[in-house]
Amino acid sequence: MSDDTAPKMKRMFFREAIAKAVREEMTSDPRVFVMGQDVGAFGGSYREFDGLYAEFGADRVRDTPVAEAATIGIGVGAAAAGYRPLVSITYMDFMMLGFDALINYGAKLRFKTGGQLTAPVVIKTTAGALGQGVAHSQCIESWLMSVPGLKVVAPSTPADAYGLLKAALRADGPVVYIDHKRLFPIPGDVPIEETVFPFGQAIIRRAGLDVTITSHSYMVRVAMEAAQKLEQEGISCEVIDLRSLAPLDIKTVAASVGRTGALLTLEEGQTTCGVGVEVAAQVYESLGARPWARLGAQRAPVSSNPVLEPASLPDAAKVIQAAHRLLCR
Amino acid sequence: MSSSFRSHMENNSIAPLRMMMVIRAFETALAKRRDHGFQLLSTGEEAVAVGLCSALDEKDQLLTGGRSIGPALARGVDPNRLAAELLGKATGTNRGKGGRGHLADHGSGFFGAHAVVGGNISIAAGVALAKKMEGKGAFVTVLFGDGASGAGSLHETLNMAATWKLPLLFVCNNNQLSVSTARADALAPKRLSDLGTSFGLPSRTIDGMDFEIVAEAARTAAQTIRDGQGPVFLECISKRFAAHSTTARETRKAEELAEIRAQCPIQRQMARLRDSGILNAAAEEALEKEVETIVSEAFAFADSSPYPHPAEVLTDVG
Amino acid sequence: MIYQLTVPAAVPGVEEIRILEWHKEPGSAIEVGDLVVELETHKAVIEVRAGQAGVLRQILAQPGDWRTIGLPLALFSSEANEALPDEASGAEAMQVEFEVI
Repeated sequence: MSDDTAPKMKRMFFREAIAKAVREEMTSDPRVFVMGQDVGAFGGSYREFDGLYAEFGADRVRDTPVAEAATIGIGVGAAAAGYRPLVSITYMDFMMLGFDALINYGAKLRFKTGGQLTAPVVIKTTAGALGQGVAHSQCIESWLMSVPGLKVVAPSTPADAYGLLKAALRADGPVVYIDHKRLFPIPGDVPIEETVFPFGQAIIRRAGLDVTITSHSYMVRVAMEAAQKLEQEGISCEVIDLRSLAPLDIKTVAASVGRTGALLTLEEGQTTCGVGVEVAAQVYESLGARPWARLGAQRAPVSSNPVLEPASLPDAAKVIQAAHRLLCR
Repeated sequence: MSSSFRSHMENNSIAPLRMMMVIRAFETALAKRRDHGFQLLSTGEEAVAVGLCSALDEKDQLLTGGRSIGPALARGVDPNRLAAELLGKATGTNRGKGGRGHLADHGSGFFGAHAVVGGNISIAAGVALAKKMEGKGAFVTVLFGDGASGAGSLHETLNMAATWKLPLLFVCNNNQLSVSTARADALAPKRLSDLGTSFGLPSRTIDGMDFEIVAEAARTAAQTIRDGQGPVFLECISKRFAAHSTTARETRKAEELAEIRAQCPIQRQMARLRDSGILNAAAEEALEKEVETIVSEAFAFADSSPYPHPAEVLTDVG
Repeated sequence: MIYQLTVPAAVPGVEEIRILEWHKEPGSAIEVGDLVVELETHKAVIEVRAGQAGVLRQILAQPGDWRTIGLPLALFSSEANEALPDEASGAEAMQVEFEVI
């Protein structure tokens, strides 16, 4: 029973999906190159650039010193001058060092030059808590969503990592592409044929009737775990993986909330000015008022402490609790 | 119009003098207007921009900080479109949306100004990396002041430009004052060119008030870079005739300012050309008229141009 | 006696591995310390070595196959001519040593 129209898939590690995307784009476009710490012979901190240095050489896979401000600035400048760099920033926390170049120059370049120049640079980074302490655990995507001229995407599966990274490397302006530390051990099916996933498209991971749960990145898996348990209690959850944070696909979310009547927004980052607040506000603007609750990290830095770290982050139990409260049952 | 500014800026030619005079006259005319906005002027520092640009080819690119008007004109940006941009008109180089702090015209080799102090330095290194990868022999110059020389971006970029042998010329226009802070109070190195030396760059400190000295140093630096030897650092000591900006308070006394103005680079070059017989009274008068025409036409063009439509708030955002 | 080699929980956080390469063939005699198979995780390779002597009888997963922790990869027996069971799950677990590269 084979479906000839279904894309052929291959199961692979998350890091292999990334390497596949980058290799394909570097092969088809000589302007694409990689720069960052430990990206060359080492193959990337997560081995996500394995084999690229051997294949493309030191000119196109460039190791940098620990100097995120200059690294991001050089990437942005090379992009403005016609290239398509992928700048690897190992920890999302340290993107902050490059905010001047990325946000004050890169994101504003097209506007400030009246359309003369644009900076098609991809800042590829890894977010999230995994026992590495307060300055190596942050999810700050909500800070970036409000920057005009900046696109932000966050896959939750190897397939989306592959398709979104290809799209990012073909975009015509700066993109922040965000992995999560806890996604790397989880393999998944990835299209074998070259496939690009468009920005601005969320995906319904699980259909449901009683409540819409939106999330992105690793928390999608937490939402799915909670949804499975809630099903056993007779609560049917529709889980939406946002995938694209800027631009947001509010159409899909609003249509879902229109059906379910309730919205629970879930993220690993802070809920204050978070992704969830933006989703809820835009759903409200589209649909009008519906019951809504937001769930995210506790309002504190995320310690590496083995008791405090899980205590500060959402998990399936907390999602279930939040759903009960939201639905008053 | 701009092609005449790209004419040979050799020593013993009128072109560099004319360019310095255009910069002076342009900025003077701008500052006289009631609607001049927030401007940083190069008065007194014209030799740095013009001397530097005399060493650049068509395919090279120049990036600057916020003190951009003089360098943009020196590089060959059309004075009409420059004036329009400064006054916020849609016919400006940036459609009126960037202003002085973000002037850009890469077709003229002026990749752009950026208003964040030190913010263009790593960007310039990225443009230089692109030029290196293109392999067509072009190089990039980044012009910044003593005020930017304490910024981390400079030090990080010197390091990466050196390790990657980027075709990048660092030009520090040291006018010895960062708004109100004297250079010696802000920066520890004995000479700012020591910043380049410490990363292994060929580095020089020169007199920035003399066009020919700047031009010679810039051409030597350009050749070093074109020969593939990596980045070079040039410190030009100059004097700022006016306050930091059109809104900043002047901190120097009248006697000091008089002494400073006596070192005018335009007067120095004019004297040189008179002495060598290239410039006589008639030629001088013609030159003055020519400069006046260029400047008045530029502002007439700007004044007769429309502002952008409010809908342009949402265009080219990305 | 029949033993089964199962996927070891060698790397914290790893629930699923991919077979990389078998270093012994069915029928080979295995000594303690012999490298039997290499398994790939998302970040490292696990070298699985025999913790007891025996004979490799049957390989249950090929290079490129995915298996979760605890699933059987191969059958061993103490003697070369013992009959193999229909199902691997009843067999006792084989002793292994592993090294994460």
